[in-house]
Amino acid sequence: MALLQIAEPGQSSVPHDHNLAAGIDLGTTNSLVAAVKSGLAETLQDEQGVDILPSVVSYQKDAILVGNAAKAFSVNDPENTIVSVKRLIGRSLSDIRSKYPSLPYDFCGGENHPEINTRSGAINPVQASAEILKTLAARAEKVLGGELKGVVITVPAHFDDAQRQSTKDAAKLANVNVLRLLNEPTAAAVAYGLDTKHEGKQQGVIAVYDLGGGTFDISVLRLNKGVFEVLATGGDAALGGDDFDVTLVDHLIEQANLKRPLSRTLERQLSQQACKAKEQLSQQNSTDITLSFENGDQWQGTLTKETFNSLIASLVNKTLRACKRTLKDAEVSTEDVLEVIMVGGSTRVPLVREEVEKYFKKIPLTSIDPDKVVAVGAAIQADILAGNKPDSDMLLLDVTPLSLGLETMGGLVEKVIPRNTTIPVAKAQEFTTFKDGQTAMAVHVLQGERELVEDCRSLARFELRGIPAMTAGAAHIRVTFKVDADGLLQVSAMEKSTGVESSIEVKPSFGLEEQQIASMLQASMSNAKQDIEARMVKEQQVEAARVIESVQSAIAADGSLLNTDELNTINAAINALTQVIESNQADDIESAIETLNESTAIFAERRMDSSIKTALAGHSVDEV
Amino acid sequence: MNYFQLFGLDHQFDLDTTKLADVYQSLQKSAHPDRFANASSQDQLLAVQKSSMINDAYQTLKNPITRANYTLTLRGTEMPNEQASFGDTSFLMHQMELREMLSEIKDSNDIESAISSASQTLAIEYDNLFKVMQTQINENTPESNLLACENLRKLKFYQKLNIELERLEDSLLDD
Repeated sequence: MALLQIAEPGQSSVPHDHNLAAGIDLGTTNSLVAAVKSGLAETLQDEQGVDILPSVVSYQKDAILVGNAAKAFSVNDPENTIVSVKRLIGRSLSDIRSKYPSLPYDFCGGENHPEINTRSGAINPVQASAEILKTLAARAEKVLGGELKGVVITVPAHFDDAQRQSTKDAAKLANVNVLRLLNEPTAAAVAYGLDTKHEGKQQGVIAVYDLGGGTFDISVLRLNKGVFEVLATGGDAALGGDDFDVTLVDHLIEQANLKRPLSRTLERQLSQQACKAKEQLSQQNSTDITLSFENGDQWQGTLTKETFNSLIASLVNKTLRACKRTLKDAEVSTEDVLEVIMVGGSTRVPLVREEVEKYFKKIPLTSIDPDKVVAVGAAIQADILAGNKPDSDMLLLDVTPLSLGLETMGGLVEKVIPRNTTIPVAKAQEFTTFKDGQTAMAVHVLQGERELVEDCRSLARFELRGIPAMTAGAAHIRVTFKVDADGLLQVSAMEKSTGVESSIEVKPSFGLEEQQIASMLQASMSNAKQDIEARMVKEQQVEAARVIESVQSAIAADGSLLNTDELNTINAAINALTQVIESNQADDIESAIETLNESTAIFAERRMDSSIKTALAGHSVDEV
Repeated sequence: MNYFQLFGLDHQFDLDTTKLADVYQSLQKSAHPDRFANASSQDQLLAVQKSSMINDAYQTLKNPITRANYTLTLRGTEMPNEQASFGDTSFLMHQMELREMLSEIKDSNDIESAISSASQTLAIEYDNLFKVMQTQINENTPESNLLACENLRKLKFYQKLNIELERLEDSLLDD
């Protein structure tokens, strides 16, 4: 029997205009933007024909520079030139100070909202990241010839909630619509997954080994008929190719009989030489190193590949231990792994490739440039999310990289959502009061794997007040954790007998407040008030158009789920919205959207249930 | 709608996990928020809710321990409170022996093989106990369900031991 065709809910059955979308790899050292052009995902170049944009932002007297232009100032004007801002985003001041003690910046701002003093005033890491995003989005709009409907921005898989939220805030500040935050290893898997068919076998477990300048991610995915299901992800937030350089510098200091402290110039010379030597040893078996001292003396030495390998062996081994742990979390063995994908510039180091090959017992895939593969994957996902491929079978099921929990008595952490749980996810847990007559409860949200509060990352604190006085242990407080498809957390708490509720979008602890973003936006616009209003009207108009289109196509596809009365109500609401859409009154449009949404709430629910049933039915047919 | 119904499965403990995974992916293809990236905020919110529910259902049914817990709860079997005292003293004595086995690992000459032999011991005992519980759940009488609850609780002790062993492994083998 031929099966009837049913359109995807929310997608119209008529062909769409092509929506412009891009994938952005917002990297520590370098950033890239890519897009799907006539069916092929590729990185986009600037006017000079260069696709890599150094992640450097420099605040000069008359301009904010980004990329190579900014990089030129990194040595001579370090205080006003922010390099590797990704290391700072979503972090506390003490966190930054302990991890990167020798940064040449003048930090200001609070513990949870660190800022850098520049000649353009105090700059938040979110603002600096926004400059990079703005530059890449502008490049994409220029190359693609139109306004971007949205972008997919990649983040390291192990990024915590504050880092993800801050990345999204940066996009907001850059006036870029985020379709999805995508984990970097997952993006790489997409880039390869649609490219290689494994001799027709589009199924199997793949591992993505992602060693960048400052971070290491390992993800294990199962590929099945277009579905990329992340089974587990792990890694090390503070292990990367830069650590190879550091080890090498220490070795050179020893060889040259130097004693720390050394001058800044010499330190910089050492790390440049180390980085260069590392790169050369990817091609040859030995390299010469020359150090020039301030007194005119020189030191010359030779570094062999063998020595280099022995220096970095323990670091490489550390990544393999993380692989082992992640495979265990994923409940697969190295024999189950069909392919290993290499991502990140540091996977060019031969020892890394050799050891990964030895561990997984197969030659890792390197056919797509490890520096570009993430952006390419993000572009493919962006193209689909923008609605350009309604027939696409592809679906990404990602996970939370770190466990989420709450502080309980005695400074212990009770996990509510364990790591490697597929998102989106909603989980509730019940807690009770500790003392007789207790009327308030402090909710402290934490992220991490350790048992003690002090060893985990504190994400937010809030209070549930107005709990009726009861004996200890009598109140039932239900705390709900929700993680959306971007990996962002929302927590709410409710006392069950009275319904007293309190909720928080986990944010104020580290990220920016909504208001701060608004005022930063305002400050960045020349004609602030009018611009903001115009933008709000535009946002509402876009949403209105989206809602109308989505309701109309839903009626076209599933109108049979409505009775005449319901259909009339919905049509009336559509007409009402159509009438105010050109009014330039954001509030009016918003409330008309609200009315239309209310009139379609039940319809939306019915459609969703019916599409789930269809999915199930299609399945039973497959099985027979 | 319970989780078995959501996945179009018969309400029984033993299930075909390959089919479960296949159905899961089809369901997510129709409900995941990525399918609604262009839809109205209302549809997006609904998609997040449905998709979360499907994820929760899948996780619950995929893992045999949570599936057992869910099956017994659906049957209305009273779950003993986690803090309630445990009657089976010989089981508790044995648990203490197993804990001792774990704490002795760090003094062993060959830590790696000590870990792997401990892990094997735990796995064998877990499997045996699991089979007993499985039979009891499948028998599905009020008495067998109560016994299954008791064994489920015991299995959770083994889960905790396994977590402990993993921690031990990480701390002993890391640097």
